[in-house]
Amino acid sequence: MTPAGILMTALGLLWGLGGTVWLLRHRSYTAAQVPRFLMDLLGFPVELAQSVFGRGGVPYALLLPNMLIFGLFTFAPMILNVYVSMTGGPSIALFDRPYVGWDKYAGLFDCENLLVPKTCSNAGYNFWTGMYNTLWFVAIQVPVMVGAALLTALVVNRNIRGRGFWRAMFFYPVMLSPVVIANIWNWVLHRKGALNAALGDTTEAMTALAGLAGFDIAATVILAVVLMVVTLRSLGPDAPPLAWSFVFAALLAALVTWANPLSLIGRDGSGWLGVGLGLLLLWIVAQGHAARPALYAAAAVSAILLLSIQFDAVFAFDRYRPVNWLVTPKTGWAFFWLVFVFCWSHMGFYMLILLAGLQAIPADLYEAAKMDATSPFRAFRRITLPLVMPTLTVVVVLSLIRSFQIFDEVYLLTGGGPGRETFMVVQNIYEVAFASDKPDYGQAAAGSILMAVVIAVFTFLQLWLTRRQSDL
Amino acid sequence: MTHALDLRQIRKSFGPVDVIHGIDLAIGEGEFVVFVGPSGCGKSTLLRLIAGLDDPTSGDILLQGRRVNGVPASERGLSMVFQSYALYPHMSVRQNLSFGLENLRMPKAEIAQRIEAAAKMLQIDHLLARRPGQLSGGQRQRVAIGRAIVREPVIFLFDEPLSNLDAELRLQMRVEISDLHAKLGNTMIYVTHDQIEAMTMADRIVVLRGGRIEQIGAPLDLYNHPANKFVAGFIGAPQMNFLRGQLADGVLRTDCGLVRDVPFAGAGKVTLGIRPEAVGVSLHGHGDVGHGDEVIRVENYEQLGAVTYIYGAFANGEKLTVQHAHQIPLRRGQEVGVRFPTEAFHLFGEDDKALERTR
Amino acid sequence: MPPPPRRGAGMSLATYLSRTRGNRETAERIGLQDVLAYGYLVLGVLVILVPVLWTLFSSIKSERAVDSFDTRVLPIAQVETMVDGRSKPVWSWTAEDGTQRLVTKAGPTRKITDVATLEAPDQVFQVPKEALAPHEELRIATENYLDPILKRNGQETFNFLTYLGNSVFVTVAATLITLLINAMAAFALSKYRFRGRLTFTLLIVATLLIPASIILVSLFFVVWSFGIFGSLWGVIIPAAATPTGVFLLRQYMLTIPDELLEAARMDAASEWRIFWRIIIPLSLPALSVLAILSVIWRWNDFLWPLIVLISDPGKHTLQLGLTQFAGEFNSDFHYILAMTVVTLIPITLVFVWLQRFITTGIATTGLK
Repeated sequence: MTPAGILMTALGLLWGLGGTVWLLRHRSYTAAQVPRFLMDLLGFPVELAQSVFGRGGVPYALLLPNMLIFGLFTFAPMILNVYVSMTGGPSIALFDRPYVGWDKYAGLFDCENLLVPKTCSNAGYNFWTGMYNTLWFVAIQVPVMVGAALLTALVVNRNIRGRGFWRAMFFYPVMLSPVVIANIWNWVLHRKGALNAALGDTTEAMTALAGLAGFDIAATVILAVVLMVVTLRSLGPDAPPLAWSFVFAALLAALVTWANPLSLIGRDGSGWLGVGLGLLLLWIVAQGHAARPALYAAAAVSAILLLSIQFDAVFAFDRYRPVNWLVTPKTGWAFFWLVFVFCWSHMGFYMLILLAGLQAIPADLYEAAKMDATSPFRAFRRITLPLVMPTLTVVVVLSLIRSFQIFDEVYLLTGGGPGRETFMVVQNIYEVAFASDKPDYGQAAAGSILMAVVIAVFTFLQLWLTRRQSDL
Repeated sequence: MTHALDLRQIRKSFGPVDVIHGIDLAIGEGEFVVFVGPSGCGKSTLLRLIAGLDDPTSGDILLQGRRVNGVPASERGLSMVFQSYALYPHMSVRQNLSFGLENLRMPKAEIAQRIEAAAKMLQIDHLLARRPGQLSGGQRQRVAIGRAIVREPVIFLFDEPLSNLDAELRLQMRVEISDLHAKLGNTMIYVTHDQIEAMTMADRIVVLRGGRIEQIGAPLDLYNHPANKFVAGFIGAPQMNFLRGQLADGVLRTDCGLVRDVPFAGAGKVTLGIRPEAVGVSLHGHGDVGHGDEVIRVENYEQLGAVTYIYGAFANGEKLTVQHAHQIPLRRGQEVGVRFPTEAFHLFGEDDKALERTR
Repeated sequence: MPPPPRRGAGMSLATYLSRTRGNRETAERIGLQDVLAYGYLVLGVLVILVPVLWTLFSSIKSERAVDSFDTRVLPIAQVETMVDGRSKPVWSWTAEDGTQRLVTKAGPTRKITDVATLEAPDQVFQVPKEALAPHEELRIATENYLDPILKRNGQETFNFLTYLGNSVFVTVAATLITLLINAMAAFALSKYRFRGRLTFTLLIVATLLIPASIILVSLFFVVWSFGIFGSLWGVIIPAAATPTGVFLLRQYMLTIPDELLEAARMDAASEWRIFWRIIIPLSLPALSVLAILSVIWRWNDFLWPLIVLISDPGKHTLQLGLTQFAGEFNSDFHYILAMTVVTLIPITLVFVWLQRFITTGIATTGLK
């Protein structure tokens, strides 16, 4: 038994036996009061503190167990980290570890170029690969997830039927364990899994449909009608309604993508151009000044594009080749699915917090805005966004800290692969300390401290930026 | 004879803020004492010091001659009725009443018997199984009092117990608490900011302001002989009228033009205090001054049937409230003659203390 | 009243078609915004539910159907039969005259394949491959669940009941300890004025900002020196004090009126008794939210149990057991899926039972 273990046992005995003696000496209990005696025994330290120090001693006794655990299992390890990072060897007896000074840190920074992990020593290579992957992951995942959470919260916050049901559905994945999530998605994303099968069936069906006679004309006519309706709706008598403008933008993006105008100059990327034009249109409409001319121009461009599209060619696909989503290297799919699965499983939690923030905004503010003839978009930007900003900040900080620590999902889905494409920094720490034949605790502790520094910098940067924003 | 409660030079400060500035007070056995004063005067703090919920910064608290400084609330043998009643919302009425007795390890039979007796006295015996949330305001008030009664305390403490009730219930509960005091005969200390409660219930009233005692006395003593301008203004509704003036050689000259020989000694700036019901009214107005000493212009008035309140102003702008015991025809802007009977005069010096009458 | 001015035939037609009730002017229409909103919600719920349901449906398919990645929803499986002590798939052979007979393959699949009927397995004859179709039936493959749980058919390594017991023990013990000590701390911080209150509060805020994964290594040393490494207590105790829990409870306890405590003090209750008889019952809503959160956290916990408990299979929690199982029997997807569903079911049941409470509780009491 370790000294600490002996200490804990002694403490337990003191509590149980000492408490019993003390309580029985000071109070009398009847047989029916055994539960009450047990409760008093549980709170014996508090009772003792009150009888010795009076009421002033009670809060300290109440805080003791919680602070003891915080102290021993959170604060002590924080400080111990520094010590461990300066020692070497595989010994797990704390005071039996040789002091090595800054060696472990030096190992991490032993690089020709810090930004290129390949130029580093072995330890540095693993650490910085993990760190840069993690930074990429955070940079992509946090905005995507917070955006999705905000959008979902806004939609669920609307006056819709079955609000409780939708809210519960989006929260459900939060309850699932990472192992379960990984198994589910491994099954779905398998090379012969459901996703590939569905994609294959869809492309086949689309190709078959596009091969029908008259498909081109039919598609053109249908889309022309849709374009007309959307244009009329967007150019209604009042200010352009945001929802219709949104549909207009989506249509424009699709048409640009299909028409592929950049192929004329021999370049790819029409899809991005389409999305860009769509967003530009939305932005102009939201600004409100040149909304109508922009919509007219977009309608004209859309009409020309529509006539130029050969729909049967656009929808005739090659035979679908199943993708090995999580395994094929250098496609970025593994990384993509990691982001996707992480958002899938965590978004509901942040959505709930944002929803609470949205519901705290008094409804009469929106009614007042309506009386002032404020457009919905303006109401969102001038009322919703500023008032939900504190909650949004909390959500961003929480999700930042959370996604920095990503381990379970990667470890179980990809194991860091393919190659090292999804190898994250916590996995590096875990492998160096716990999953290797020669555990290097010092190295892992040094890595932990560097990671803590990076997280701290990002958190404070974020808090500082949002503070500046709210001051304006 | 030992007093039920003795306070000696009690001081209390919260950090740098002094709330109670040395209070001396003795309360006799079986007395009903009301602490009254505006909010922030320290009356609730004083009650909490007596209860043992807070400890005084200095000074002694004696209960029946025994010094109880530092003795926990539970061991002082007092019970308290709180402003919000503080009924345990998760316990039934019976459990609310028995909780304190159980804590004192009283035998079950005695607990049951005390609860029965208290419930019967307060007519809440049919409510014992309910929770506080299912009771009306008045019923909750009774349960809170019942919880105090079952402890059979030396002193009952009431901390503004009626302030959460509507006017009608307040009146009814006022009477019930007075009856209770008559029935039980215990010492009761009652804190309120409402001077009507103080006047109607108290054997003795303690008027507090800013952590100091302004005056102690029987209700009518305070009404008829206020020791200072504050007590004069605080006790009585509508408030006593105050008119600025000068006193010299037994002649009072008020700024509003009244000149009168008065039986008060002293000189210099004074304030004339006169209760609204002491002011006489004459409808004939200006030009017929003989019917009244002075003339006011009616700014507003309230006809309540039994009484009429006139809110008027003198030519120099000073306000005057008059309570007239009859119905009289009035309109705004009308001029009304008012009479000031000298025997109803209160004079306050520059230090706001009441001047002694010379005869 | 004169008719309102027409704004164009197209508009009024659209209004007429999409209005739900009332006259033209007050008509409540299902606007495009609603359509987009419902579309988004339906899409989102599909993305969330389809993978889970697909796993559920797959887990009741036979081994053969799972291994061949049959993408039909229903658990349709090819019938198998025992031939010479081996399980073989049954095929339906359509003869040229249109009659159908059940056969098994007696050799490799070629253009012309050797088959034998079920009745006479020794009489091998040859049929064209095209005439053979799998003979299928609708069957729920309960063996996917029963084999690992009952440890039969070579599935001895997945000690489901042990894992379940460990998981339940860790979850229940950790949640009870968390509730008790967090409530005690929250009571002290919300209802007492004492020297150092601000310091303690700030310390707890600080732990909120210390990510668990950066103290992994040193926590390992601490837990090891307390002699609880490798035991379930090594998982339970370090995570028992949660800053989230303390704050959640503290915020709630602040709303309990101080007068109640004072009344209890006048009623001669000791401070511990006030905590136990007044504060705990009145904080039940917040306590239940914390209880649910704690159950989710502990039940789903992975990395720390992986470090502390991995070396002793008898101490594995359900999550660890499932990981090891999936790792060892990578090809036995039918068992993995079934055990995944088993792991998923308790938490899903809790969720279905308490979902309204959980979502509103976390949204209103939690993290504000």
